[in-house]
Amino acid sequence: MTTLTDRYVDAALRRLPGRQRADIEKELRTAIADAVDDRVEAGAEPATAEIEVLTGLGDPARLAAGYADRPLHLIGPALYHDYARLLTVLLATVVPAAAAGVGLVRALHGADPLALAGDVLSAAFTTAVHIVCWTTVAFAAIDRLPRLRRGPARPWSVEALPVPPSRRARYAELATLTVITVLFSTFVLLTPVVSTQSDPSGKPIGLFAPRLWDTGLVYAFLAVVLAGLGFAFARHYARWSVPLAVAGSLVDVAASLALIWLVTTDRLLNPAFVSAAGWGPEVPRWIGIGLVAMSVVTLLHTVAEAVGQARRATPS
Amino acid sequence: MNDEQLSTHLQELRRGTVVLACLLVLRQANYGYALLDLLEQRGFAVDANTLYPLLRRLEKQGLLTSDWNTDEARPRKFYRTSAEGEQLAETLGRDWDALDAAFRALKGRP
Repeated sequence: MTTLTDRYVDAALRRLPGRQRADIEKELRTAIADAVDDRVEAGAEPATAEIEVLTGLGDPARLAAGYADRPLHLIGPALYHDYARLLTVLLATVVPAAAAGVGLVRALHGADPLALAGDVLSAAFTTAVHIVCWTTVAFAAIDRLPRLRRGPARPWSVEALPVPPSRRARYAELATLTVITVLFSTFVLLTPVVSTQSDPSGKPIGLFAPRLWDTGLVYAFLAVVLAGLGFAFARHYARWSVPLAVAGSLVDVAASLALIWLVTTDRLLNPAFVSAAGWGPEVPRWIGIGLVAMSVVTLLHTVAEAVGQARRATPS
Repeated sequence: MNDEQLSTHLQELRRGTVVLACLLVLRQANYGYALLDLLEQRGFAVDANTLYPLLRRLEKQGLLTSDWNTDEARPRKFYRTSAEGEQLAETLGRDWDALDAAFRALKGRP
Protein backbone atom coordinates (compact mmCIF):
# COMPACT_ATOMS: atom_id res chain seq x y z
CA MET A 1 0.00 0.00 0.00
CA THR A 2 1.28 3.45 -0.80
CA THR A 3 1.53 5.67 2.24
CA LEU A 4 0.96 9.40 2.33
CA THR A 5 4.73 9.82 2.50
CA ASP A 6 5.16 7.81 -0.72
CA ARG A 7 2.63 9.99 -2.45
CA TYR A 8 4.26 13.15 -1.13
CA VAL A 9 7.77 12.11 -2.19
CA ASP A 10 6.49 11.07 -5.63
CA ALA A 11 4.71 14.38 -6.08
CA ALA A 12 7.86 16.33 -5.18
CA LEU A 13 10.31 14.22 -7.22
CA ARG A 14 8.20 14.07 -10.35
CA ARG A 15 9.13 17.69 -11.00
CA LEU A 16 12.88 17.22 -10.62
CA PRO A 17 15.52 16.22 -13.19
CA GLY A 18 16.20 12.47 -13.08
CA ARG A 19 19.82 12.48 -11.98
CA GLN A 20 19.06 14.36 -8.73
CA ARG A 21 16.12 12.20 -7.80
CA ALA A 22 17.61 9.18 -6.03
CA ASP A 23 19.75 11.26 -3.67
CA ILE A 24 17.01 13.73 -2.81
CA GLU A 25 14.52 10.91 -2.29
CA LYS A 26 16.75 9.16 0.25
CA GLU A 27 17.36 12.38 2.15
CA LEU A 28 13.74 13.50 2.06
CA ARG A 29 12.43 10.13 3.25
CA THR A 30 14.91 10.09 6.16
CA ALA A 31 13.97 13.61 7.14
CA ILE A 32 10.26 12.79 7.09
CA ALA A 33 10.79 9.55 9.04
CA ASP A 34 12.91 11.39 11.65
CA ALA A 35 10.28 14.04 12.11
CA VAL A 36 7.47 11.45 12.40
CA ASP A 37 9.46 9.41 14.96
CA ASP A 38 10.01 12.51 17.04
CA ARG A 39 6.30 13.18 17.21
CA VAL A 40 5.44 9.54 17.97
CA GLU A 41 7.96 9.53 20.81
CA ALA A 42 6.24 12.63 22.16
CA GLY A 43 3.00 10.62 22.26
CA ALA A 44 1.30 11.30 18.93
CA GLU A 45 -0.54 8.71 16.83
CA PRO A 46 1.71 7.59 13.93
CA ALA A 47 -0.95 8.44 11.32
CA THR A 48 -1.57 11.90 12.78
CA ALA A 49 2.15 12.51 13.10
CA GLU A 50 2.68 11.71 9.41
CA ILE A 51 -0.08 14.10 8.36
CA GLU A 52 1.35 16.85 10.59
CA VAL A 53 4.87 16.44 9.24
CA LEU A 54 3.79 16.46 5.59
CA THR A 55 1.52 19.45 6.20
CA GLY A 56 4.50 21.20 7.77
CA LEU A 57 6.62 20.53 4.66
CA GLY A 58 3.94 22.21 2.57
CA ASP A 59 3.04 21.94 -1.10
CA PRO A 60 5.42 19.44 -2.79
CA ALA A 61 5.43 21.69 -5.86
CA ARG A 62 7.02 24.47 -3.79
CA LEU A 63 9.55 22.08 -2.31
CA ALA A 64 10.46 20.86 -5.80
CA ALA A 65 10.82 24.47 -6.95
CA GLY A 66 13.37 24.96 -4.16
CA TYR A 67 15.39 21.96 -5.30
CA ALA A 68 15.29 22.79 -8.99
CA ASP A 69 18.07 25.16 -9.97
CA ARG A 70 16.63 26.03 -13.33
CA PRO A 71 14.29 28.90 -14.09
CA LEU A 72 10.67 28.19 -13.31
CA HIS A 73 9.42 30.81 -15.72
CA LEU A 74 9.05 30.74 -19.47
CA ILE A 75 10.15 34.31 -20.13
CA GLY A 76 12.05 36.08 -17.38
CA PRO A 77 11.83 39.69 -16.21
CA ALA A 78 14.76 40.73 -18.43
CA LEU A 79 12.84 39.96 -21.61
CA TYR A 80 9.23 40.15 -20.51
CA HIS A 81 8.82 43.80 -21.39
CA ASP A 82 10.12 43.38 -24.95
CA TYR A 83 8.05 40.23 -25.36
CA ALA A 84 4.81 41.86 -24.26
CA ARG A 85 5.46 44.89 -26.44
CA LEU A 86 6.24 42.92 -29.60
CA LEU A 87 3.28 40.64 -29.04
CA THR A 88 0.94 43.63 -28.62
CA VAL A 89 2.27 45.31 -31.75
CA LEU A 90 1.96 42.12 -33.81
CA LEU A 91 -1.51 41.28 -32.58
CA ALA A 92 -2.74 44.84 -33.01
CA THR A 93 -1.48 45.14 -36.58
CA VAL A 94 -1.21 41.75 -38.27
CA VAL A 95 -4.48 40.25 -37.01
CA PRO A 96 -6.74 43.08 -38.26
CA ALA A 97 -4.73 43.28 -41.51
CA ALA A 98 -5.09 39.53 -42.17
CA ALA A 99 -8.78 39.63 -41.29
CA ALA A 100 -9.38 42.66 -43.51
CA GLY A 101 -7.42 41.10 -46.38
CA VAL A 102 -9.38 37.86 -46.26
CA GLY A 103 -12.65 39.76 -45.87
CA LEU A 104 -11.88 41.97 -48.87
CA VAL A 105 -11.00 39.09 -51.19
CA ARG A 106 -14.04 37.06 -50.08
CA ALA A 107 -16.28 40.10 -50.63
CA LEU A 108 -14.83 40.61 -54.12
CA HIS A 109 -15.71 37.00 -54.86
CA GLY A 110 -19.24 37.70 -53.70
CA ALA A 111 -19.33 35.37 -50.72
CA ASP A 112 -22.51 35.55 -48.65
CA PRO A 113 -22.21 37.57 -45.42
CA LEU A 114 -22.37 34.59 -43.09
CA ALA A 115 -19.56 32.69 -44.84
CA LEU A 116 -17.58 35.93 -45.08
CA ALA A 117 -17.88 36.60 -41.35
CA GLY A 118 -16.88 32.99 -40.62
CA ASP A 119 -13.81 33.22 -42.88
CA VAL A 120 -12.75 36.55 -41.37
CA LEU A 121 -13.07 35.27 -37.81
CA SER A 122 -11.25 32.06 -38.57
CA ALA A 123 -8.43 33.94 -40.35
CA ALA A 124 -8.08 36.34 -37.40
CA PHE A 125 -8.05 33.48 -34.92
CA THR A 126 -5.49 31.40 -36.84
CA THR A 127 -3.23 34.42 -37.30
CA ALA A 128 -3.44 35.34 -33.62
CA VAL A 129 -2.63 31.78 -32.51
CA HIS A 130 0.40 31.62 -34.80
CA ILE A 131 1.70 35.00 -33.67
CA VAL A 132 1.36 34.19 -29.97
CA CYS A 133 2.86 30.72 -30.38
CA TRP A 134 5.95 31.66 -32.41
CA THR A 135 6.70 34.87 -30.53
CA THR A 136 6.55 32.96 -27.25
CA VAL A 137 8.74 30.16 -28.59
CA ALA A 138 11.33 32.65 -29.84
CA PHE A 139 11.51 34.57 -26.57
CA ALA A 140 11.56 31.41 -24.44
CA ALA A 141 14.53 30.24 -26.52
CA ILE A 142 16.35 33.55 -26.02
CA ASP A 143 15.63 33.28 -22.29
CA ARG A 144 16.99 29.73 -22.05
CA LEU A 145 20.09 30.06 -24.20
CA PRO A 146 22.29 32.58 -22.42
CA ARG A 147 24.58 32.75 -25.44
CA LEU A 148 21.77 34.28 -27.46
CA ARG A 149 21.49 37.13 -25.00
CA ARG A 150 23.76 40.08 -24.46
CA GLY A 151 25.21 38.56 -21.32
CA PRO A 152 26.60 40.48 -18.37
CA ALA A 153 30.03 39.26 -19.46
CA ARG A 154 31.49 42.71 -19.02
CA PRO A 155 30.58 44.83 -16.00
CA TRP A 156 28.26 47.66 -16.84
CA SER A 157 29.77 51.09 -17.32
CA VAL A 158 28.39 54.42 -18.50
CA GLU A 159 29.87 53.67 -21.93
CA ALA A 160 27.19 51.01 -22.30
CA LEU A 161 24.49 53.70 -22.28
CA PRO A 162 22.74 53.66 -25.63
CA VAL A 163 23.76 56.22 -28.21
CA PRO A 164 21.24 57.37 -30.79
CA PRO A 165 19.58 55.58 -32.47
CA SER A 166 18.38 54.44 -29.08
CA ARG A 167 17.57 50.86 -28.26
CA ARG A 168 13.94 51.88 -28.15
CA ALA A 169 14.07 53.26 -31.67
CA ARG A 170 15.88 50.18 -32.95
CA TYR A 171 13.28 48.09 -31.20
CA ALA A 172 10.51 49.92 -33.03
CA GLU A 173 12.42 49.25 -36.25
CA LEU A 174 12.63 45.57 -35.37
CA ALA A 175 8.91 45.40 -34.59
CA THR A 176 8.09 47.09 -37.91
CA LEU A 177 10.35 44.69 -39.77
CA THR A 178 8.62 41.75 -38.10
CA VAL A 179 5.17 43.04 -39.02
CA ILE A 180 6.22 43.65 -42.63
CA THR A 181 7.86 40.23 -42.95
CA VAL A 182 4.84 38.42 -41.53
CA LEU A 183 2.42 40.36 -43.73
CA PHE A 184 4.60 39.87 -46.81
CA SER A 185 5.00 36.11 -46.26
CA THR A 186 1.28 35.70 -45.61
CA PHE A 187 0.48 37.67 -48.75
CA VAL A 188 2.84 35.61 -50.92
CA LEU A 189 1.56 32.30 -49.54
CA LEU A 190 -2.06 33.34 -50.02
CA THR A 191 -1.72 34.54 -53.64
CA PRO A 192 -2.46 31.14 -55.27
CA VAL A 193 -5.71 30.66 -53.34
CA VAL A 194 -7.04 34.19 -52.98
CA SER A 195 -6.87 36.41 -56.02
CA THR A 196 -8.82 39.21 -57.67
CA GLN A 197 -8.86 37.18 -60.92
CA SER A 198 -10.32 33.77 -61.54
CA ASP A 199 -10.48 31.53 -64.61
CA PRO A 200 -13.75 30.52 -66.33
CA SER A 201 -14.18 27.55 -63.99
CA GLY A 202 -13.99 29.93 -61.02
CA LYS A 203 -10.57 28.83 -59.81
CA PRO A 204 -8.42 31.74 -58.64
CA ILE A 205 -5.43 32.77 -60.80
CA GLY A 206 -2.37 33.45 -58.71
CA LEU A 207 -0.44 36.69 -59.09
CA PHE A 208 2.91 34.91 -59.14
CA ALA A 209 4.14 32.29 -61.59
CA PRO A 210 2.89 28.78 -60.65
CA ARG A 211 6.35 27.45 -61.50
CA LEU A 212 7.64 29.11 -58.31
CA TRP A 213 5.38 26.77 -56.34
CA ASP A 214 6.07 23.70 -58.48
CA THR A 215 9.82 24.08 -58.02
CA GLY A 216 9.54 25.05 -54.34
CA LEU A 217 11.46 28.26 -55.10
CA VAL A 218 8.88 30.37 -53.30
CA TYR A 219 9.46 28.42 -50.07
CA ALA A 220 13.20 28.78 -50.40
CA PHE A 221 12.76 32.51 -50.92
CA LEU A 222 10.47 32.88 -47.91
CA ALA A 223 12.88 30.81 -45.81
CA VAL A 224 15.63 33.29 -46.69
CA VAL A 225 13.35 36.22 -45.83
CA LEU A 226 12.47 34.64 -42.47
CA ALA A 227 16.13 33.89 -41.80
CA GLY A 228 16.79 37.58 -42.40
CA LEU A 229 14.23 38.39 -39.71
CA GLY A 230 15.87 35.87 -37.39
CA PHE A 231 19.22 37.61 -37.86
CA ALA A 232 17.61 40.98 -37.17
CA PHE A 233 16.49 39.56 -33.81
CA ALA A 234 19.91 38.07 -33.20
CA ARG A 235 21.50 41.47 -33.91
CA HIS A 236 19.15 43.06 -31.40
CA TYR A 237 19.60 40.54 -28.58
CA ALA A 238 23.06 39.10 -29.06
CA ARG A 239 26.37 40.85 -28.88
CA TRP A 240 27.91 41.86 -32.17
CA SER A 241 30.29 39.29 -33.58
CA VAL A 242 31.94 38.86 -36.96
CA PRO A 243 30.28 35.51 -37.85
CA LEU A 244 26.86 36.83 -36.86
CA ALA A 245 27.26 40.03 -38.85
CA VAL A 246 28.58 38.21 -41.93
CA ALA A 247 25.83 35.58 -41.85
CA GLY A 248 23.11 38.20 -41.33
CA SER A 249 24.37 40.36 -44.20
CA LEU A 250 24.72 37.35 -46.52
CA VAL A 251 21.10 36.36 -45.88
CA ASP A 252 19.88 39.89 -46.63
CA VAL A 253 22.01 40.05 -49.77
CA ALA A 254 20.77 36.61 -50.88
CA ALA A 255 17.12 37.69 -50.60
CA SER A 256 17.73 40.84 -52.65
CA LEU A 257 19.76 39.04 -55.32
CA ALA A 258 17.16 36.28 -55.59
CA LEU A 259 14.43 38.85 -56.14
CA ILE A 260 16.48 40.67 -58.82
CA TRP A 261 17.15 37.36 -60.58
CA LEU A 262 13.46 36.38 -60.55
CA VAL A 263 12.40 39.76 -61.93
CA THR A 264 15.04 40.10 -64.64
CA THR A 265 14.54 36.55 -65.95
CA ASP A 266 10.76 37.09 -66.02
CA ARG A 267 10.02 34.26 -63.64
CA LEU A 268 8.06 36.22 -61.06
CA LEU A 269 4.62 37.17 -62.41
CA ASN A 270 2.01 34.76 -63.69
CA PRO A 271 1.36 35.56 -67.39
CA ALA A 272 -2.17 34.19 -66.98
CA PHE A 273 -2.85 36.74 -64.23
CA VAL A 274 -1.43 39.59 -66.28
CA SER A 275 -3.69 38.80 -69.24
CA ALA A 276 -6.74 38.10 -67.04
CA ALA A 277 -6.29 41.48 -65.37
CA GLY A 278 -6.02 43.10 -68.77
CA TRP A 279 -2.65 44.67 -68.03
CA GLY A 280 -0.58 45.99 -70.92
CA PRO A 281 3.06 44.97 -71.31
CA GLU A 282 4.18 48.15 -69.52
CA VAL A 283 2.59 47.21 -66.17
CA PRO A 284 4.79 44.14 -65.51
CA ARG A 285 7.79 46.15 -66.70
CA TRP A 286 7.17 48.91 -64.17
CA ILE A 287 6.55 46.36 -61.40
CA GLY A 288 9.87 44.77 -62.34
CA ILE A 289 11.71 48.10 -62.31
CA GLY A 290 10.17 48.94 -58.92
CA LEU A 291 11.20 45.61 -57.42
CA VAL A 292 14.75 45.80 -58.77
CA ALA A 293 15.12 49.35 -57.44
CA MET A 294 13.84 48.22 -54.04
CA SER A 295 16.29 45.30 -54.01
CA VAL A 296 19.22 47.54 -54.91
CA VAL A 297 18.31 49.98 -52.12
CA THR A 298 18.08 47.04 -49.69
CA LEU A 299 21.50 45.79 -50.84
CA LEU A 300 23.10 49.20 -50.30
CA HIS A 301 21.40 49.56 -46.92
CA THR A 302 22.63 46.12 -45.84
CA VAL A 303 26.21 46.97 -46.73
CA ALA A 304 26.06 50.41 -45.08
CA GLU A 305 24.54 48.98 -41.92
CA ALA A 306 27.12 46.19 -41.69
CA VAL A 307 29.92 48.74 -41.97
CA GLY A 308 28.28 50.98 -39.36
CA GLN A 309 27.80 48.14 -36.90
CA ALA A 310 31.34 46.95 -37.32
CA ARG A 311 32.60 50.47 -36.63
CA ARG A 312 30.48 50.76 -33.48
CA ALA A 313 31.50 47.33 -32.22
CA THR A 314 35.26 47.75 -32.67
CA PRO A 315 36.85 49.74 -29.89
CA SER A 316 38.35 52.93 -31.29
CA MET B 1 0.25 46.92 7.35
CA ASN B 2 -1.46 43.57 6.85
CA ASP B 3 -0.10 40.22 7.98
CA GLU B 4 0.96 39.14 4.52
CA GLN B 5 3.08 42.24 3.96
CA LEU B 6 4.58 41.87 7.42
CA SER B 7 5.56 38.27 6.81
CA THR B 8 7.06 39.19 3.41
CA HIS B 9 9.20 41.90 5.00
CA LEU B 10 10.35 39.59 7.77
CA GLN B 11 11.16 36.87 5.25
CA GLU B 12 13.19 39.28 3.11
CA LEU B 13 15.10 40.52 6.15
CA ARG B 14 15.94 36.98 7.30
CA ARG B 15 16.68 35.43 3.94
CA GLY B 16 20.45 35.71 4.03
CA THR B 17 20.81 35.04 7.74
CA VAL B 18 19.85 31.36 7.38
CA VAL B 19 22.86 30.82 5.12
CA LEU B 20 25.21 32.35 7.66
CA ALA B 21 23.62 30.39 10.52
CA CYS B 22 23.98 27.12 8.56
CA LEU B 23 27.62 27.76 7.74
CA LEU B 24 28.38 28.49 11.40
CA VAL B 25 26.39 25.59 12.87
CA LEU B 26 27.72 23.08 10.33
CA ARG B 27 31.31 23.51 11.46
CA GLN B 28 30.18 20.40 13.30
CA ALA B 29 28.78 17.87 10.78
CA ASN B 30 25.05 17.35 11.01
CA TYR B 31 22.07 16.12 8.99
CA GLY B 32 19.00 17.95 7.77
CA TYR B 33 16.37 17.14 10.36
CA ALA B 34 18.68 17.57 13.36
CA LEU B 35 19.91 20.85 11.91
CA LEU B 36 16.33 22.09 11.70
CA ASP B 37 15.93 21.43 15.42
CA LEU B 38 19.29 22.86 16.32
CA LEU B 39 18.72 26.10 14.39
CA GLU B 40 15.33 26.48 16.03
CA GLN B 41 16.86 26.07 19.49
CA ARG B 42 19.49 28.67 18.65
CA GLY B 43 16.84 31.18 17.61
CA PHE B 44 16.80 30.73 13.84
CA ALA B 45 13.33 29.57 12.92
CA VAL B 46 13.48 28.14 9.41
CA ASP B 47 11.02 26.02 7.46
CA ALA B 48 12.00 22.50 6.47
CA ASN B 49 11.02 23.18 2.88
CA THR B 50 13.46 26.09 2.81
CA LEU B 51 16.31 24.42 4.65
CA TYR B 52 16.55 21.12 2.72
CA PRO B 53 16.87 22.70 -0.73
CA LEU B 54 19.21 25.35 0.70
CA LEU B 55 21.62 22.70 2.02
CA ARG B 56 21.85 21.19 -1.46
CA ARG B 57 22.46 24.56 -3.08
CA LEU B 58 25.23 25.38 -0.65
CA GLU B 59 26.74 21.96 -1.28
CA LYS B 60 26.61 22.51 -5.02
CA GLN B 61 28.42 25.83 -4.57
CA GLY B 62 31.16 24.05 -2.64
CA LEU B 63 30.37 25.80 0.63
CA LEU B 64 29.34 22.55 2.31
CA THR B 65 30.67 19.02 1.90
CA SER B 66 28.50 15.98 2.46
CA ASP B 67 28.82 12.32 3.41
CA TRP B 68 26.26 9.58 3.65
CA ASN B 69 26.41 7.95 7.07
CA THR B 70 25.14 4.39 6.76
CA ASP B 71 26.18 3.15 10.21
CA GLU B 72 22.68 3.49 11.57
CA ALA B 73 19.51 1.80 10.37
CA ARG B 74 18.47 4.99 8.60
CA PRO B 75 21.09 6.36 6.17
CA ARG B 76 21.63 10.06 6.76
CA LYS B 77 23.36 12.70 4.70
CA PHE B 78 25.74 14.67 6.91
CA TYR B 79 26.77 18.15 5.84
CA ARG B 80 29.85 20.02 7.01
CA THR B 81 31.12 23.53 6.26
CA SER B 82 34.02 23.45 3.78
CA ALA B 83 37.08 25.72 3.89
CA GLU B 84 35.41 27.91 1.31
CA GLY B 85 32.23 27.98 3.39
CA GLU B 86 34.26 28.96 6.42
CA GLN B 87 35.68 31.90 4.49
CA LEU B 88 32.22 33.00 3.37
CA ALA B 89 30.93 32.70 6.95
CA GLU B 90 33.68 35.00 8.12
CA THR B 91 32.90 37.58 5.42
CA LEU B 92 29.16 37.43 6.02
CA GLY B 93 29.67 37.58 9.78
CA ARG B 94 31.76 40.71 9.47
CA ASP B 95 29.13 42.27 7.25
CA TRP B 96 26.43 41.41 9.74
CA ASP B 97 28.41 43.04 12.56
CA ALA B 98 28.91 46.17 10.48
CA LEU B 99 25.19 46.32 9.68
CA ASP B 100 24.33 45.81 13.31
CA ALA B 101 26.62 48.65 14.34
CA ALA B 102 25.14 50.87 11.64
CA PHE B 103 21.60 50.13 12.80
CA ARG B 104 22.51 50.87 16.38
CA ALA B 105 23.95 54.20 15.33
CA LEU B 106 20.80 55.00 13.34
CA LYS B 107 18.49 54.11 16.16
CA GLY B 108 20.57 55.99 18.70
CA ARG B 109 19.97 59.26 16.87
CA PRO B 110 17.05 61.41 18.03
